[in-house]
Amino acid sequence: MSLIEIKDLKVHYPIRSGFWNRITDSVRAVDGVSFNIEAGETYGLVGESGSGKSTTGKSVVGLEKVTSGSIMYKGLDITKAENRRKLDYNHDVQMIFQDSLSSLNPRKRIEDIIAEPLRNFEHLSKDDEKLRVLQLLNIVGLDADALYKYPHQFSGGQRQRIGVARAVATNPKLIIADEPVSALDLSVQAQVLNFMKKIQREFGISYLFISHDLGVVRHMCNNIAIMNRGRLVEIGTRDDIYNHPLHIYTKRLLAAIPETDVNSREAHRASRLAVEQVYQDQQSKYYDENGAAYPLVQVTPTHAVALPQTIAQQLASQEGEVQA
Amino acid sequence: MAENFEQHSDISAADLARLTQEAQAEATPSTAKIIWSEFKADKPAMAALIIIVGFILFVMIGALFINTPKMMETNIMGYFNQPFTADFWLGADSAGRSVAKQLIVGSRNSIGIAIGLTVISSTFGICWGLISGYFNGYIDWGMQRIYDFMMMLPMTMMIIVLVTIIPHYNSVTLTFIFSIFYWEGTSRLIRSRTLAESEKDYVAASKASGTNHWKIIFREIMPNISSLIIVDCTLSFAENIGVETGLSYLGFGLPSQTPSLGTMIANANDPNNITQYWWTWLPAALEIIILCLSISYVGQVLRRAADSSQRQGSVN
Ligand SMILES: Nc1ncnc2c1ncn2[C@@H]1O[C@H](COP(=O)(O)OP(=O)(O)OP(=O)(O)O)[C@@H](O)[C@H]1O
Ligand SMILES: [Mg+2]
Repeated sequence: MSLIEIKDLKVHYPIRSGFWNRITDSVRAVDGVSFNIEAGETYGLVGESGSGKSTTGKSVVGLEKVTSGSIMYKGLDITKAENRRKLDYNHDVQMIFQDSLSSLNPRKRIEDIIAEPLRNFEHLSKDDEKLRVLQLLNIVGLDADALYKYPHQFSGGQRQRIGVARAVATNPKLIIADEPVSALDLSVQAQVLNFMKKIQREFGISYLFISHDLGVVRHMCNNIAIMNRGRLVEIGTRDDIYNHPLHIYTKRLLAAIPETDVNSREAHRASRLAVEQVYQDQQSKYYDENGAAYPLVQVTPTHAVALPQTIAQQLASQEGEVQA
Repeated sequence: MAENFEQHSDISAADLARLTQEAQAEATPSTAKIIWSEFKADKPAMAALIIIVGFILFVMIGALFINTPKMMETNIMGYFNQPFTADFWLGADSAGRSVAKQLIVGSRNSIGIAIGLTVISSTFGICWGLISGYFNGYIDWGMQRIYDFMMMLPMTMMIIVLVTIIPHYNSVTLTFIFSIFYWEGTSRLIRSRTLAESEKDYVAASKASGTNHWKIIFREIMPNISSLIIVDCTLSFAENIGVETGLSYLGFGLPSQTPSLGTMIANANDPNNITQYWWTWLPAALEIIILCLSISYVGQVLRRAADSSQRQGSVN
């Protein structure tokens, strides 16, 4: 059984307008998303800005009011608040936020910030609690003198580490990492990602790793879901997604990874333009008449794509030929 | 699970005391220290603070030594006595009553009402605004309709009517009557900031850490709007001194046998008093101006202390 099973998750935000301020329409931030996260793995969720990644992540932590669908954990549907309470759900599932500065209360000292989940879930003695906070700071590579400082006294990378320390504090089973490094420069990105990996090995944590950067996701994730306009357009293993992408949206994202090799820059540019051309010409083939993605169909046991059955098969066999 | 953390960190219970001490040395100064250094850096504000605190203490304690009913007795011998004499430091009014003593007792009454009114109406307004802004949805809707209803009532008229129909009232009942009508402005202000603050990720992080709503409202959000609260409270205090004074001036505040700054300023209603007997009303008017200016000075310093980018004082 998977650690978490997300089934047909929908989160719609009402749009109110008119004289009576009635609900006239809705933003379909997440519109029918299903995937499973296994214990100990890092599951990647990739998509452009506004595709609904953060909303999906927040729903899994229980921060978002879900319109329909279910999220099963230990056999209970945690979209219902009473089930979350019954399971002490947030003891096991924590979140690292996209914006490290706004996710740390500017009026609280680092000690109180990291100890917050401990105070609610573990009720340690004062000394044990302080010891745990010091150990957590040590694990994320910060000195003990951070203890009585305030968040604005740290750099972006250090703040993100504090966010990680808070998420790890109760030794959870799953951490939702919402673009944990997208605000950091490249060298610091690598540091933070590496110790997230280290913590994962040592504590046996699963991550739902949200990112718009396929380069970073490749470094972190075994299984990946590609999200577009609130729906999943492709699910697969790292190999499926990077070496046999089927959906045009995935291909576009892959083409957008910057090429560092100077010699192949021209070739890269050409292939990117080619993908863009296909995307412009064949929109109607890849999306239904409302511009939404099709339901997912399985092409191999690990790989699924959001296309009509016939086109999916056809593309898959083309891919196969190219391979052969 | 604790073992898990022991294993992966080289810090153990033995290091606790030493590390705590190291951290303490690097600790950021407390808010009280920051505010104090801010006052030290701004001499006029320091003077304003001393004036306010000194004056309030003086009238509160001084009023204890004055026998009010006796003071308010008519004394024909003192009819418009000149100021700066041995018996009447600030002269006497038309009934021969000492202006200086009236000023002390009157200030005590007026400032007491202003403090009481500020405490009650601000506390209520802050709670109302925080709860309304945080919970949003139906709760917010209901609370805002009550707010709208209260705003619709003509405030001054309602107070005058209430004061007229309540047979025996004193400073305390008057404070409560005022409080019914003075929390709305604060609540609206606090609500709008709370709405913005509730959207921030640290609130989401607290929810995800299992903290309950009340703790989030009063321990997480409230400290973050403390600068707004402090500034609003100081300004309402200055304003509230005017509330009682204004109504007493019109004759609808404290009963006439109870001196207040308002009843003293009302002496200026008589054109004779304005020109000839200036000492009957000028001290009270000056006192109000000086107090309100000082309070707004102190409010500015508090706001600067709350906003790190505006600070002038240096801590350490
Ligand atoms: N509270 C809200 N009310 C209305 N619409 C919202 C709300 N929150 C998010 N949305 C909308 O839902 C969509 C998805 O937002 P979401 O934050 O999940 O995107 P994202 O994939 O995380 O983007 P990014 O990479 O920029 O963080 C967006 O179109 C956004 O405008
Ligand atoms: Mg996001």
